[in-house]
Amino acid sequence: MKKRAIALAMSAMMMTASLAGCGTQTQPTQPAPTPEATPADVAAAPDGEEPVVEVAKADESAVGNLIAATTGPVKLTVWASEEDQDLTKKLIDKFEAQYPDVTFDIQLGACSESTAKDNVLSDPTAAADVFAFADDQINDLVNAGALQEVAAAYTYDVSKENVAGSVAAATVNGKVYAYPMTADNGYFLYYNKSVFSEDDIKSLDKMVEVAGAADKQIGFELANAWYLFGFFSAQGTDLYARLSADGATNECNWNEGVGVDIANALIGYVETGVFVKAADDASAVSNMKDGKYAAIVNGTWSASSISEALGDDYGAAKLPTFTAGGKEYQMSSFAGYKLIGVNPHSAFVGWSMLLAEYLTNEESQVARFEARGLGPANIKAASSDTVKADPAIAAIAAQAEYATPQRIGGNFWDPAKSLGEIIGNGNPDGTDVQTLLDNAVEGINAPAGN
Amino acid sequence: MAKKKKKTEEVVKRDLWKEVKEGFRKYFADFGTAVNKGDWGTRASLIVMGAGFMARKQYAKGILITLVQIMYFIVFAIYSLPYLAKFGTLGTVKMEQTFDPITMQQTTNNYDNSFLILIHSMISIFLLVVFVMYYIHNMKAAYQLEKDAWIGKHVNNILEDIADMVGKKFYITLLTLPTIGIVLMNILPILVLIAIAFTNYDQNHMPPAALFTWVGFENFKALFSSGGMTITFGYAFGKVLSWTLVWAVLATFTNFIGGIVLAVIINSKGVKFPKMWRSLFVIAIAVPQFVTLILVRNFFRDDGIVNTLFANAGITDFFKSIGLLGANMQYIPFLTSKGWAKVMIVLINIWVGIPYQMLIATGVLMNAPQDQLESARIDGASRSQIFWKITIPYILVVQGPALITDFVRNINNFNVIYLLTQDVYTTTDQMLANSNAKEVDLLVTWLFRLTNEYYNYKMASVIGIIVFIICVIFTLVSYSKLMAGGREEDYQI
Repeated sequence: MKKRAIALAMSAMMMTASLAGCGTQTQPTQPAPTPEATPADVAAAPDGEEPVVEVAKADESAVGNLIAATTGPVKLTVWASEEDQDLTKKLIDKFEAQYPDVTFDIQLGACSESTAKDNVLSDPTAAADVFAFADDQINDLVNAGALQEVAAAYTYDVSKENVAGSVAAATVNGKVYAYPMTADNGYFLYYNKSVFSEDDIKSLDKMVEVAGAADKQIGFELANAWYLFGFFSAQGTDLYARLSADGATNECNWNEGVGVDIANALIGYVETGVFVKAADDASAVSNMKDGKYAAIVNGTWSASSISEALGDDYGAAKLPTFTAGGKEYQMSSFAGYKLIGVNPHSAFVGWSMLLAEYLTNEESQVARFEARGLGPANIKAASSDTVKADPAIAAIAAQAEYATPQRIGGNFWDPAKSLGEIIGNGNPDGTDVQTLLDNAVEGINAPAGN
Repeated sequence: MAKKKKKTEEVVKRDLWKEVKEGFRKYFADFGTAVNKGDWGTRASLIVMGAGFMARKQYAKGILITLVQIMYFIVFAIYSLPYLAKFGTLGTVKMEQTFDPITMQQTTNNYDNSFLILIHSMISIFLLVVFVMYYIHNMKAAYQLEKDAWIGKHVNNILEDIADMVGKKFYITLLTLPTIGIVLMNILPILVLIAIAFTNYDQNHMPPAALFTWVGFENFKALFSSGGMTITFGYAFGKVLSWTLVWAVLATFTNFIGGIVLAVIINSKGVKFPKMWRSLFVIAIAVPQFVTLILVRNFFRDDGIVNTLFANAGITDFFKSIGLLGANMQYIPFLTSKGWAKVMIVLINIWVGIPYQMLIATGVLMNAPQDQLESARIDGASRSQIFWKITIPYILVVQGPALITDFVRNINNFNVIYLLTQDVYTTTDQMLANSNAKEVDLLVTWLFRLTNEYYNYKMASVIGIIVFIICVIFTLVSYSKLMAGGREEDYQI
């Protein structure tokens, strides 16, 4: 959700693009009866503790069957992020070398993981065969029929070799829909060691006190629903914001229980003038580098630039606790993973699945960490000493215990963002806090696409 | 005077309505006459379209027309019919894909794609209407031919007709390509857009995986009704519409007046190096607008250059002391608070828009009647009197139509609003937030975010239609007020 690139393309006539796909009709098969929508698997309710589903190990002859059945060249398009291009190109070359009897024509395109959904959903039939995306988009992608179910694993055990959280993040309604690529797309605390000691950063109260004394600030993107979630759905609050069983609308109860306490606590923190609303990702990071902020909450994508600027003062840790209504709560967070998905509209679904497996196997994940410092989702790759020594990845691993997989519908973002903006401005109109929360929750829980 | 004017307008209106009715009546009456009074050859055209021509020994044309008819029938049967048959439901068979793990092959059922059905049905209906019109026209032509042949008038053969196409009727040849272009690029997409407003095409009903269908006027109801916090489209629409209109008026007139003032200043005799000043302003046009706007947005961020400068220069504190800024504000919320952002947007728009108006006004001023200015000066009129009584009325007459276009363009001024506020402005009005709108949104930017970020095509289409209606009503009313009253005579040269 963060860093949504500005779409400069004029919307003009939204349908002209789709006209291009007019000629593609489907190959006729036996007439299928109109299927009922598959009832949502209640067992997989987004409780933070999704049961991990196993992907069946495929028959060994399958790949042989596929090679035998492939006559013409295999034309595939792969979308990876701009920064991942060189690495992905190398991995694709290695993949092609594995099957000398098959001619490949694999095109590599650039598409950020954070905006993959926008590009895929504008026309799934024209989108890439294999694409990388952030796990928060998986629900919309599955709803739009833009992800191929991982019905079987061919070259490695997708569900057992990756950390449980990442497999859960790739699972919708009890079915695995994507291949975990990285396990580092959540957020945690960056702090300046010259300001805070390792004890200070355990509690936000202490941090505000210390930073205030040092005339520094703590930056937090309050007007960003993704981060704001960390406060309201803190550990032990019984507050949640999640997708309901219908897979489209949200269930949120931030206006109940201790919700008001938390909102008041946040307004209190803002009123100190030490805990401030950061305008956006870029400004939070630049203020951190300039030393104006002594701590920010951000993700691994900023790790290298912050560590470069702070040098020995660079520190990363799990999120702190905070006090609301006289009680102390541990901040929660959204656990973020980057996944690789296969487009079911691909003409070569089998090959796309093999390629997706290759791009996410242990070897590739190690290569990705070495080349770009991205935290692997693969258990073996993640347990290597070099990975563990990385402060940012260690911090996200420490936060993982309190993190929730991101399962939330589109109506969450704007109302929660507006709530965060009002809190971040210190509730200037003095609106009743309970009313603020009621309004936000009503918007979050509104029927999808109202 | 006013009364008389009203009356003439009414007369004009009634006549127009009559004309339209009369035109329709005649259109079909002529067809009826052809069918009733034509001989066997003409009547045979009802079934075989070329028969009327062949009966007059125009075989080439007759065969050609019959071929067109046969081709259309084939197109209708093979292409149109399957889509039109599903047009009522927009499809019933949902996509089903099954993957065989052993062979690694995917099979897809023969599913319906609502969007393709909609598009192709629209094309089919369009073709049908064109064909019916051609059919009626052909009937009349056959009857005309019969009459011409009876009185022994010369009838063009096909070669002469072709020669006409590059001779007497060359305009038809010339206009063919643009007409096809307009139909494909404008008319058909607009028809599809209008149709979508009556469906439930949104994120939960996205082809090809899901179907969408007709919902009648539900979306329009949603736009004009407001029920609590859940359904806030009506509320958001009212807010966004009023800001859109306020913005369009402000943006149009500030630019207009500003551009003229600038042009007059640069053109006035005392100014040194007028060309240099003019070029300086034109340079602002040379830089692409979106680059300028994004830069400006960064300058005016809460932690941007301008705020840093203002804080260092003590201007931020000054604003606090005069009450423009809350006591606990560390910065000036140029683009992040409602009031400030609206003012800033208008100001920035003046800055990026004035050079254009200055250029146009310069051109108009150069042709201004010098004798009038001269005599006014001799009569002892002051500079401001000359400006308000002569220059402005003159420019208004010349630029009136352009002003209307500007206003309509400002209603749809996507660039300025979107580029200045996207990712920067967050609404604190929770009812707006619940409809994905912001206080600074124009209808068109709201529409853009609804489609681009929320895939809410149905509501976007409804808003699109409303924007279209607003623009049309405004244009018609202002044109008739501006032109019909014979305003040109008010300004006599």
